[in-house]
Amino acid sequence: MPLDTSTYSLALLRLDGRRWNELRRLTAQISTQAAADGSSYLEMGNTKVICTVTGPAEGKRTGGAGTGGGNEAEVRVEIGIAGFSGVDRKRRGRNDKRISEMQTTISNTFASSLFTHLYPHSTININIHILSQDGSLLAACLNASTLALIDAGIPMRNYICACTAGSTSSHSANDEAADPLLDLNNLEEQELPFLTVATVGESDEVAVLVLETRVQMGRLEGMLAVGVDGCKQVREILDGVVRRRGKRILESAAV
Amino acid sequence: MAITILPPAPAYLEPQDDISSDDSDVDGGVDLEGDSGMRPSKRARHSSDQELVTPGEIVTDDPQWMRGHGTYVAPSTTEIVATVAGTVQRTNKLLSVRPLRARYTPEIGDLVVGRIVEVQSKRWRVDVGAPVLASLPLSAINLPGGILRKRTETDELQIRTFFSEGDLLVAEVQSLYADGSASLHTRSLKYGKLRNGVFMSVSGTGGGGGVVRSRRQVWTIDTVHGGGKVDVILGVNGYIWISKHIEVVGGDTAITRIEESVSSTVYSSQNDEIAPETRREISRIRGVIEILVQEGLRVDEDMVMKGYEAAVEVDSENQGESNAYLGGEAGKSLIRLLSAT
Repeated sequence: MPLDTSTYSLALLRLDGRRWNELRRLTAQISTQAAADGSSYLEMGNTKVICTVTGPAEGKRTGGAGTGGGNEAEVRVEIGIAGFSGVDRKRRGRNDKRISEMQTTISNTFASSLFTHLYPHSTININIHILSQDGSLLAACLNASTLALIDAGIPMRNYICACTAGSTSSHSANDEAADPLLDLNNLEEQELPFLTVATVGESDEVAVLVLETRVQMGRLEGMLAVGVDGCKQVREILDGVVRRRGKRILESAAV
Repeated sequence: MAITILPPAPAYLEPQDDISSDDSDVDGGVDLEGDSGMRPSKRARHSSDQELVTPGEIVTDDPQWMRGHGTYVAPSTTEIVATVAGTVQRTNKLLSVRPLRARYTPEIGDLVVGRIVEVQSKRWRVDVGAPVLASLPLSAINLPGGILRKRTETDELQIRTFFSEGDLLVAEVQSLYADGSASLHTRSLKYGKLRNGVFMSVSGTGGGGGVVRSRRQVWTIDTVHGGGKVDVILGVNGYIWISKHIEVVGGDTAITRIEESVSSTVYSSQNDEIAPETRREISRIRGVIEILVQEGLRVDEDMVMKGYEAAVEVDSENQGESNAYLGGEAGKSLIRLLSAT
């Protein structure tokens, strides 16, 4: 499906009417499931994700001094993509490469950002269900996991906030004057080069950087700068969600 | 007919109340003055004027403070940074952040309800809702047949006759290991195997609701409608046991005599006959606790008793047969009654 990007240069508006530096609507809730230790529901535009966290709990023994038996908690991530979530109903196997790469990325990110050494030989399970996908899938998963982990009360260095950034023209067009774009939707992701970036809180420290498409070296810096800036906006929104929830809890506890 | 185009809206919008009032500390850290007291953790909170911090927020950069739980010191700085979302507590010069919601962390002396998940040769491994399983050594239980005798090899061989996988028990945390796991004991007649009742689990701490450490964790309710006496055990770990009250045989004999009466009945897994009236009152109490948790209220003796009285009142207003179900309208009027008091 070719995307008509020619109109962008005329009005500087994207397909869904956003400007280059605008995020889609980002809403989230935490403590959505009572049975889980921590849970969250996050919408980034039309991408909708549910995340539950169980643990830290003693995991199943995986043979002597395996990964679960160390001095640090193990972070396990499982992603389920609902069949109805995308445009085409794709059957995904147990070891879909794309899913397992996302799982590894998320697990590695949080293993270094959480204080796992406080919970020796236990496991933190992060379960993510993707209900609807419209681009920025990895970013939505990372944001939802951050919220669920905060809800579970697991100590972490800082928020992990993620978003995507792209460029207005494709690699083959080789347009030097291409503008960077923030927070791509599915249509844009299929056509344009994009990267997913996650930062540690409001700092410029990059925790995740995934780039799977071809893009000219010269454009990368602009894309990255826009992405990091977007992450700061995401942090403000996530922080607002946590604070509102916290305020409500403190109010109800005061009764 | 005219077509109206509605702007897209998210499925759910959180009430957008003003959060800028407590957001003024973006770079200055949290105001440490003000009374947060030296309250022990997990005690019922009574004031809402506490400062809320979120992960990554600098609590203070003053080097005079020592960091406690829920904080860390960023390398090569003196800044104390929060690692969980919660309220700031100071105890003399120790700064800690108490999370809004977290898994149960055992402390010595806690009364807990647990479930056996594993039987080993000299101990049991018990799920108490903590990050790691607790252990119950064979030497820390009341062995049948008399006064605190030493355990023998026969006991080791019969370990499954005392507790086996899936059994529920009430115990006390005796000591803690370096990794934070607990060692339990049941060396009192108050503790031991649980039967004749129903188990329920509420979130251990925070989330607004949940069990709080209080003066009495175990008490007996005189129920209405011929339900008899019902015991309630609120484990600090958020596990709750509600059961029919059983009179201790020869309750007023000397303590040594009681120890002798510890026989195989204590470790029986057979339930007694429980009358339908008692069952209904047990489920009513369970419904009350569920509503307390749902409403984010603390679960302790006071609240459960108030809730139970209100539930009975709600039930008596209904015509016809007594019903212990507290969903829907009955639940709403229960909450109204509770908030009125």
